[in-house]
Amino acid sequence: MLSPYGLDIVESCLTCKLRSEQIFCDLPEAALQSFEQIKYATAYPKGAILFVEGQAPRGIFVLCKGRVKLSICSTDGKTLILKIAEAGEVLGLSASVSGKPYELTAETIDPCQINFVKRDDFLRFLKEHADACLRVAEQLSEKYNAACREIRSLGLSHSAAEKLAKLLLEWTVKNGEGAKQEPRIKLALTHEEIAQMIGTSRETVTRLFAELKKRQIIQAKGSTLVIRNKSALKALATA
Amino acid sequence: MVRHPTPDFVVCAWARNCQKFWFCFGALWRDSRCRVTRITVSARLKIYNPLMDRDTQPSCVHCAFRAERPFCDMSPDAIRGFDEIKELSVLGKGALLFAEGATPRGAYVLCEGRAKLSICSEGGKPLMLRVAGPGEVLGLGATLSGDAYEVTVELLDKAQVAFVNRDDLLTFLRENPTICMEVVRRLSNDLHGAYERVRAVGLSRARRPRIRRVRPAAS
Repeated sequence: MLSPYGLDIVESCLTCKLRSEQIFCDLPEAALQSFEQIKYATAYPKGAILFVEGQAPRGIFVLCKGRVKLSICSTDGKTLILKIAEAGEVLGLSASVSGKPYELTAETIDPCQINFVKRDDFLRFLKEHADACLRVAEQLSEKYNAACREIRSLGLSHSAAEKLAKLLLEWTVKNGEGAKQEPRIKLALTHEEIAQMIGTSRETVTRLFAELKKRQIIQAKGSTLVIRNKSALKALATA
Repeated sequence: MVRHPTPDFVVCAWARNCQKFWFCFGALWRDSRCRVTRITVSARLKIYNPLMDRDTQPSCVHCAFRAERPFCDMSPDAIRGFDEIKELSVLGKGALLFAEGATPRGAYVLCEGRAKLSICSEGGKPLMLRVAGPGEVLGLGATLSGDAYEVTVELLDKAQVAFVNRDDLLTFLRENPTICMEVVRRLSNDLHGAYERVRAVGLSRARRPRIRRVRPAAS
């Protein structure tokens, strides 16, 4: 039977095949069984908003399948995308633990399966299972690390070109093509979204891409981007 | 009628931050009925007392500040366990606790003094994140995840620091779930701070708002 949004929904964490690959989900048997009791498996369509920044924390969202866009917004409506979260990540974690409002807005960009856990249940679960608590600490440290990287990229880069070059190089490493001479990246985001990731305007991103193509540093093949001149891109990133 | 000051009188004052030890020499002025009417201080001497190093809380069990600090406020059993795994040292101003990108050795609890947290661009340009005060735990995230330290920490004052080895800390946290919870809470707060900073750096206007030209009103 076809499930909603074409997703193959995994009802139980105990039988989930993806579990061993994810940092958070790879819990000991006892912890997993009590997690199973407090979670709600839900499916969301593309473009659904899981939580909005400033909202009081309801609980955590474990992303089982799909991708989620995490962004912050200024008072005048300017958006900055911090991260595209992938399967296995836990969203709304720090707000749920500290009780402060959610600091980000989470919006799905694919149909997603998400396991939701209420805040009180989650805190009780963490108190009872030290292993899970350590996993959570690990996830938080990783997020902190990523936030520091973001600050470095935003606060210490001079130009939009430098930030774009850094982003492209980061994506090549993430795709496992970092060692290749001519790495390929599948562009899953629009120019608008890339602009929001590096804190500039859509027009600037389009102009920069055109410039990189003209200088034959990159080449576009459909939605795939081939980096032809990696050293030039690196030079641009460290300028 | 005023009597002559008693020459052997010494007032001793002790500063709470344990780093200074003052001796004050002074005199009591008394009236005819021996009531103190005035106290004068003729000299004040700062004396380094080697005992002070021993006095700077060698053991967390007897630390006076423990109750005020969320991380240090552990159960008696846990604090004894923590006492065994920590290494105490007093470091001078400007000392580097750890540098960004280094492999994590462990976490540092700042007992006294302040530390500066900063990050650095590839070109060597620094960006200061914040100043950490007494009671804070530094390098916690990197120590837990095993990734490289994400910030550089430099001491702004002469400071007392308790270092805990990575393996010891992980074992300690596994044995004490309540402290593990406190660590998680602390990391969440750090993350909140970092996101605030991202907002400040990334969403602030690039250009300063132009000063409006104020035309003098036509008379």
